[in-house]
Amino acid sequence: MQLPRQRVFARMLQWPSRLRCGVTTLCALVLAVGVETASARAAVNDRVVLAPFYTALDYTPPPAGSYTLPDLGRAADGQVLDADGRPRALSEYLNDGKAVLLSFFYSTCTDINGCSLATAVLYNIQHTIQAQPLLRDRLRMLSLSFDPLYDTPEVIRLYGNGLGRINHWQFLTTANWTALAPILDDYGQSVIRDVDDQGEPLPSFSHILRVFLIDPGRRIRNIYSVAFLHPELIINDIVTVLADFPADLKATAGALHGPGDDKRGYASPAYRTNSQSLPQRRGQAADLLAPLRQPPLGLPAVPYPADNPVTVRKVALGRKLFFDRRLSLNDTVSCAMCHIPQQGFTSNELATAVGFEGRSMRRNAPSLYNVAYHRRLFHDGREHNLEQQIWGPLLAANEMANPSVGAVLSKLRALPDYQGLFEAAFAGQGPGMENVGKALASYQRTLISANSPFDRWYYGGDAQAVSARQQRGFELFTGKAGCASCHLVNRHTALFTDDGLHNTGLGYRDSMGIRPAKQRVQAAPGVFLEVDRHLIDAVGQPMTPDRGRYEITQNPADRWQYRTPGLRNVALTAPYMHNGAFSSLRQVIQFYNQGGVPHALLDSRIRPLNLDPADMDALVAFLHSLTGDNVDTLVSDAFAAPIGDITRDDPHWAHQLAPDALH
Amino acid sequence: MRLRISTAWRRVASAVCLGGAVGVGGVVMPVHADETCMSPYMAKIVGQEDFVYVWTLGDVNVGDGQDKLVTIAVNPVSADYGKIVHTLSVGGRNEAHHSGFTDDRRYLWAAGLDTNKVFIFDVHSDPAKPKLAKVITDFVASSGGVVGPHTTYALPGRMMVTGLSNNQDHGGRTALVEYTNGGDYVATHWMPTDEDLRGAEKSGQFADGYGYDLRVLPRRNVMITSSFTGWSNYMMDFGKMLQDPEAMKRFGNTVVVWDLHTRQPKKVLDVPGTPLEVRCAWQPNHNWCLTTTALTSKIWMIYEDDQGEWQAKPIADIGDPSKIPLPVDISILSDDSGLWVNTFMDGKTRFFDLSDPHNPKQTFEAAIGSQVNMVSQSWDGRRAYYTSSLLSNWDKKGDANEQYFKAFTWDGEQLVKQFAIDFTAAKLGRPHQMRFGAYALYAKQPPRQADDTVVATAGQ
Repeated sequence: MQLPRQRVFARMLQWPSRLRCGVTTLCALVLAVGVETASARAAVNDRVVLAPFYTALDYTPPPAGSYTLPDLGRAADGQVLDADGRPRALSEYLNDGKAVLLSFFYSTCTDINGCSLATAVLYNIQHTIQAQPLLRDRLRMLSLSFDPLYDTPEVIRLYGNGLGRINHWQFLTTANWTALAPILDDYGQSVIRDVDDQGEPLPSFSHILRVFLIDPGRRIRNIYSVAFLHPELIINDIVTVLADFPADLKATAGALHGPGDDKRGYASPAYRTNSQSLPQRRGQAADLLAPLRQPPLGLPAVPYPADNPVTVRKVALGRKLFFDRRLSLNDTVSCAMCHIPQQGFTSNELATAVGFEGRSMRRNAPSLYNVAYHRRLFHDGREHNLEQQIWGPLLAANEMANPSVGAVLSKLRALPDYQGLFEAAFAGQGPGMENVGKALASYQRTLISANSPFDRWYYGGDAQAVSARQQRGFELFTGKAGCASCHLVNRHTALFTDDGLHNTGLGYRDSMGIRPAKQRVQAAPGVFLEVDRHLIDAVGQPMTPDRGRYEITQNPADRWQYRTPGLRNVALTAPYMHNGAFSSLRQVIQFYNQGGVPHALLDSRIRPLNLDPADMDALVAFLHSLTGDNVDTLVSDAFAAPIGDITRDDPHWAHQLAPDALH
Repeated sequence: MRLRISTAWRRVASAVCLGGAVGVGGVVMPVHADETCMSPYMAKIVGQEDFVYVWTLGDVNVGDGQDKLVTIAVNPVSADYGKIVHTLSVGGRNEAHHSGFTDDRRYLWAAGLDTNKVFIFDVHSDPAKPKLAKVITDFVASSGGVVGPHTTYALPGRMMVTGLSNNQDHGGRTALVEYTNGGDYVATHWMPTDEDLRGAEKSGQFADGYGYDLRVLPRRNVMITSSFTGWSNYMMDFGKMLQDPEAMKRFGNTVVVWDLHTRQPKKVLDVPGTPLEVRCAWQPNHNWCLTTTALTSKIWMIYEDDQGEWQAKPIADIGDPSKIPLPVDISILSDDSGLWVNTFMDGKTRFFDLSDPHNPKQTFEAAIGSQVNMVSQSWDGRRAYYTSSLLSNWDKKGDANEQYFKAFTWDGEQLVKQFAIDFTAAKLGRPHQMRFGAYALYAKQPPRQADDTVVATAGQ
């Protein structure tokens, strides 16, 4: 959405007067919606500045706490800029034990029923709660601009200066449309730039006013439109939701998924940490078998082998095994150390995985979301069911490095906290090669996630579930971009994979050693160094090149083929591709748009796509609509699971040393 | 060669150094230094050390393939001078890294960054033959999920152990873990994060919750911690990591100033580029500590300003930062007049003059080997020992992977090599941290040897 340059100039010149104008309107509105005083009413009556669709509250709002507000879903995150121009995650403002009122605005808005009204109401609320310490300290107000072109940090700072000094009212903007679009999509905030008779963009926007009440657990609890944007009502709602969050339980339910060590924006010198406290990560066990009884919208029934029906006990045992670091030779690597629940059941922090004693793996740890449906496992498709698959990593020297099947079973038999668990789950049978596989497979089969905005739109018929941009992205996905030829979407369900193996050229590029002479290496936020290749080679162990599917079939035609991953929850599973080469979905789409890495064995479906930037943004937006609605439930369940670390009760040679030698 | 150091040789004495004085034979003398990086609460060797204990990483392709404590005789009067007199294998490759004595110096705590074990060696019963007294195997479980025990630092009657990682994501968020000298868990002190600053002030942009080294200035009731990276990175192949942009985002950018007495974090300082070793000044009017940033190659000063506020500022570049020389171990001189800085990539040791501590000047450099990590110097600064290994998967590959212990003398102008031990040829592994031992600490005499001769003591 670019304006012609001369128009931009013209807009900038007239900006200060527009802002003044906006503030004048605002002041009148503050009076209009102000505390109900006779003079304020008189002013309203005299000047008729009340917004046409906005009427005074004609009823007594229900008392706070006399009702409940439903959970309307998780408040989405995004990359924003604060009024000082520093990159921030929106979640930083949703994560400190406060309730949040989030509204969208643009500084030059003149629509009396739009952002001016919202700003006036927020101003009023701010004024009202000054006398109420509980509210004053536990409410934050955020106004996020949807005009990144004109609302630079400086502009929103000027705009906010007259408004937000008293309380925690912050004004935010975004770096550009690419950063803003997914936020607007996630909040269903429809914004269309107005055009003149000739179709030229105008400085104004058409938008539907929405203000979001977000609780300290980052859940949306109410959405206000012009029809009931009343300070008294909103304040009672705030008090109602805050009652669910005693002040001393600060943010325990906040921000469950996503790395707790948030490095978004790290490339910028203005990066600020947004780190979570580890001891405050507490979770709640979930009914993991629910999706097996009734699959979520968008997914078929969960398949399982006839000889391994999923049971509560098997899942509980599998979950314990999954998080048990003692399942590796030196008690350091569990399944969950590479398939990290809060990082999309993969690792957001590594391109390719690191295993036993730090040994290198050639491939990215695949996400385990919806792994129950996979007919082929591993990037090269070498296994066919989860029961067998687990023995791969358990025995691989660069993963968990157990010396033998027998060694794993002996260890499990000797660990006191496993006594009786296998027997209870498997009709009296103790730990065995098959039972270990069955238990771990059972837990992994419960990691089902769907009923995403896409599902609610495409399969559920909810026209409001996805934005116009996301619908456009889906059109491209199934049309011009050709993604759906491998990432399949069926009539009633979608796994977004054909379970096939394809050559994108990435494996070829790595095997052939095609890489730049210098490597860009980040040394600190905003500090990058161009490092000579020889320096990197001096401290790097050469890796065996990865030939993909060929390593399993020995068929030269299968070189550099890798399994098509499903795309559900793909927004949570960066970095991408079998080797973790890309940090963002935009980079992945860019890679396909340019036609992969051309070579003789390149899959015929991969060719230059001629997508323009708006197309690529739409595809990214669509991929963001594939995040299931139960992600936090699964992550919370994982936080509630015990992590198996060696204790003094476990057998270990060192426990034979004189126990009190030092006393 | 031995003659060169004989003039500097003094009788061994031990003393507990605290509050600005060292007692030696009933005589109170001003503190010059630790030897020189140890806890101020600890008994000291103020003369000639008899042994260097080298905490050594097992190499899967070398010898018995496991970590070991290697004891080297370094007293020139000993018949075994320059020789390995004892090795003690501890089982497994635990990523042996740092070690530290208890305040009474009777036990050496040596930690493993990978397996989270802390090996506690009895070094007082026979200083020439350390014994394994206890292994803490449940560090992670008892601490509530802290991974990567690193610095083992003596506090009165207790040991403070810094962590590097955690058992949830193997990233950099971590804690300090406090133990009794008896090896019993006491408490976990989490590093401040944005979500829970634990009362600390986030003074800049960062509160990453990462940890690495720890030093104290008891005079100012201050404890200082630095920040490295989590298990995934410190265990990873170095070359692979440099090419992984996500991994390179997971490095520490903070130094935390703590209230030593209450163990509460007070202030989080921005020190971007991975501040590693911390060394605090010794002079009673020097309210500062130094650290070096591994990735941005700078010396930083952590100091108390005129208003009593703790601050951080970069005070010098180390080599050419654009070439990533990778400063690793540092060692401050007894009188705060200089700082040794080793740079891993070029294998050099560099001496910085600290006459003006706010403006260090490099006055000397020499290549120690194809790679170098640790440096330990004697109390009087006249002997310096070097080892080669940084981390098992960060060490250089191929022929450049020299693994050595080297002993030098330093006269203020030149380093002169006394002897070297090739740890690969000796089938030992990758030598890492060095700690000194001496008979006199325990009022013991060395066993009589046939060729035992008296060497004149020159003193300082």
